Amino acid sequence: MVKRSCVFGVVGMVWVVMTLAAIAYATRLALFVAPTENTMLDVQRIFYYHVPTSMLSLLFPYVNFVSSLFYLGWCRRDPLRALTADAVAIAAAEVTVVYSSISLLTGMLWGRAAWGVWWAWDARLTSMLLLWVLYVSYLILRKLSSTGQTQTLAAVLSVFAALDVPIVYISIRLVKYGVYTQHPQPVFGGDSNSGIAPAMMHAFGWNVLGWAMWGISLLLFRYGLERRRQQSEQASALKAIEGSLEIVQ
Amino acid sequence: MQAHHLLASYLLVWLIQGGYAAWIVWQWRRTGKELQPDPADLSPRDEGS
Repeated sequence: MVKRSCVFGVVGMVWVVMTLAAIAYATRLALFVAPTENTMLDVQRIFYYHVPTSMLSLLFPYVNFVSSLFYLGWCRRDPLRALTADAVAIAAAEVTVVYSSISLLTGMLWGRAAWGVWWAWDARLTSMLLLWVLYVSYLILRKLSSTGQTQTLAAVLSVFAALDVPIVYISIRLVKYGVYTQHPQPVFGGDSNSGIAPAMMHAFGWNVLGWAMWGISLLLFRYGLERRRQQSEQASALKAIEGSLEIVQ
Repeated sequence: MQAHHLLASYLLVWLIQGGYAAWIVWQWRRTGKELQPDPADLSPRDEGS
């Protein structure tokens, strides 16, 4: 009978190999195969990293949000199960910070080349920066707080942080209502003039797939790390209790 | 300037993604050491007289 951990190990290795292969292929498409854009020329290729990363940075917050809700629901009734939800929450928050950092930095580099400025306080950039600040705050709270209520406080913060995600999404869709944005109008789901060439769509699709697989990999490994830490803390606490019992005896 | 921005962009992506992945691996191995049983706990106890 094959142990479950061996099966997970093999599946995990296959997933990692597939992820790296997808990213390598997507990078090749983005840098060497996709056609050169007419106006921005080669700097437009930042699009193949910037947009998938930005899209994914709006999905991982919801993983954090849902797992935080589960934590709040379970923390009194089933504390051990609540720890599992908490591990998912912190993993998703860290991946959110990674992806939103890349989105902001690649956007700044692209903006500098395209517009001549590193930053503009418009709707999209400001709301995205706010998202980054909220999840960095979540991680700082987790790291520096030493009360027994840390996980509960972080879970409540994540509920409010997730409210920024639809604001980021809608920020470039309110131009017709007078909301200023320097950011380009949506490429997908925009008006009748939106969309990209089919040859670019192929490269873009592979980049979305590759970076989504990578993000899921990071999430799962970070979740596993957090579970190991929780077990380590439980083992230390048990050892301390056993030690104190021996002293009493 | 455009080539510099494109190169910097890709390097940043790999730096951040790779750096975070490396940090996870490092922390995994560090936590693994803490979970390993203490050799002193494995030796048979002396129950005394």
